[in-house]
Amino acid sequence: MRVWVTLGGHEAEVHVRMVGGHVVVEADGRTIEADFVRLPDGEVYSLLIGGRSHTVRVSEEAGDQQLMVEVRGHLLPVEVRHPLERMLQAQAGASHKARGETVHAPMPGIVVRLRVQVGDVVQPGQPVIDIEAMKMQNELAAQHGGVVREVLVAERAAVAAGQPLLKLEPEGA
Amino acid sequence: MARLQRVLIANRGEIACRVIRTLREQGRTSIALFSEPDRVALHVLMADEAYGIGAGPSRESYLNLERVLETARQVGAEAIHPGYGFFSENEAFATACAEAGIEFIGPRPATIAALGDKLAARAAALRAGVPVVPGSPGPVDSLEDVRRFAAEIGYPLMLKAAAGGGGKGMRVIRSDAELEASWSMTRGEAKAAFGDDRVFVERFIERPRHVEAQVLGDTTGRVVFLGERECSVQRRHQKLLEETPSPAFDAATRQAFGEAAVRICRETGYTSAGTVEFIVDEQNRFYFLEVNTRLQVEHPVTEMVTGLDLVAEQLRVAEGLPLSFGDTPPAPRGWSMEARIIAEDPLRNFMPSVGRIDRVRFPQGPGVRNDAGIYRGYEVPVHYDSLLSKLVVWGQDREQARMRLVRALDEFVIEGLRHNIAFHGWLAMHPAFAKGDLSTRFLEDHFTPASLRPGPEASSIGLLAAALHEHQVRQRIATGTSSDAGEARSTWKWGAERGGS
Repeated sequence: MRVWVTLGGHEAEVHVRMVGGHVVVEADGRTIEADFVRLPDGEVYSLLIGGRSHTVRVSEEAGDQQLMVEVRGHLLPVEVRHPLERMLQAQAGASHKARGETVHAPMPGIVVRLRVQVGDVVQPGQPVIDIEAMKMQNELAAQHGGVVREVLVAERAAVAAGQPLLKLEPEGA
Repeated sequence: MARLQRVLIANRGEIACRVIRTLREQGRTSIALFSEPDRVALHVLMADEAYGIGAGPSRESYLNLERVLETARQVGAEAIHPGYGFFSENEAFATACAEAGIEFIGPRPATIAALGDKLAARAAALRAGVPVVPGSPGPVDSLEDVRRFAAEIGYPLMLKAAAGGGGKGMRVIRSDAELEASWSMTRGEAKAAFGDDRVFVERFIERPRHVEAQVLGDTTGRVVFLGERECSVQRRHQKLLEETPSPAFDAATRQAFGEAAVRICRETGYTSAGTVEFIVDEQNRFYFLEVNTRLQVEHPVTEMVTGLDLVAEQLRVAEGLPLSFGDTPPAPRGWSMEARIIAEDPLRNFMPSVGRIDRVRFPQGPGVRNDAGIYRGYEVPVHYDSLLSKLVVWGQDREQARMRLVRALDEFVIEGLRHNIAFHGWLAMHPAFAKGDLSTRFLEDHFTPASLRPGPEASSIGLLAAALHEHQVRQRIATGTSSDAGEARSTWKWGAERGGS
């Protein structure tokens, strides 16, 4: 199987095959082989790589196209795309940046402040909305930035986890 | 006084579980309260009895004074343990308990009132001959007055808006030259922000430590000092990691510190467990901050080195008995540290995280204690604070305790929501922490999200795991074995090829 994996901003073409019950992965000219067992309690794998023992968990992020892989307490966002998917996205110019962006509530809470309104230009990483949850106020930022096209919630509204809050479109789109 | 057999816990989470443990060990009946979303919380499952007291928001349940007391009366509770937070430092609640003939497990209402008011507490400290941060006794009226205090206190000093708080309305002045401009700016800002331009002058401590004294008092007037706790590692005034003893203290400092804490408590007729908080400067001069008239979150580190059960001592005091050890507390042994495991994401500015505990594995082994309020499948509610667990370790010395903490954090698995276990691993391994070089500025000085960036090994494993997972899910779909993952993902729309390797 061939997939494209993006991790830490780097995209690599990855070959995955099974050899005698082991998984063999080739990427960037390197080969890693692992003895693997899926543990009985979910998407958790025990890996033995050259004898070194690792437990990893793979989960899917709500409202997102990416996987989260947890290794030794580190959470790694990983995007996995199949060759056909990647090709179609390339044709559509459909990267996140080009498609625009939706800011979601990462947790249930109350909207305490809208920092932008429709038409505002937002820089990548700029805070756009404040949500209060667990007695704390939290700034939510736009990841890619763009122009605010739609604000979907009002101040003091209660929001659910994963609920879309506002939509941005690429500047000049 | 008769034995307090039926004890109600007016709290939730890990501290309710902590109190239940002592009650159970002593054959007392533990009575839990719960809000609607807490019906399946761990403290409800652990208690002998449990009663619902209202909706999720604290004000409608755990902070509903009439409802809590009415329930306590109805179920025949003889005493109430308030834990920390909620009603633990509420004079009105303690008074209402007394009026209802229910023993409040904590200091007397008058003591809570005397120490709950910051100015009154400061006055009590001064009466007891305990230093407070040098500064003007009240707001300063003129630039002339500020100059006079500057000459008296010395630089650096801080101008503080009387109505300010939480770091707002404060300005540091380092020399005479800055004085005049800072004076008018601070007053102007205070006026604009709080509608009140009264300003205090105080000595500014560059790299303060936060150190606190554990005290216990009984009804015979006895008050003892049970050692200090170093709580300097904080974020936005929230403690993250505590230890005892303080790596900064020598025996002479500790003795003077303990005596000061005990004097303040004697001054106010203190009974039960309490914590006297101090700010400590780089010369180990300590200044009184406030008294927490309750069991403290980080009390387990004191229990680890003294071998005492502080809840058991509180119960004795509530029954009118003297402290279990008389006048001389057990000599502390070894070192203890506590890491607060919190549902917050260090990579996203410590934003709180809620969700279901999908998988959990608690650390075990020598010198490890874990006070948790969670279990597998438990949904962390949004209404309350985000403390999941307190990982406490004991070692013969600081280094053993520190490495034990690192090891235990490594064993600790919580999946399903974001937490700060990896952050604590970074902290415990940091060279400045290892040296005991701490201040409340520790995170500002040393932490950036890049501190938690995974190494190349973790990245390769991540890549392998993602590719493996993708392969496995496809195979499961292809063979029709199980489709418990990934169905909702759009990749399947694209995943035309089947079972390819």
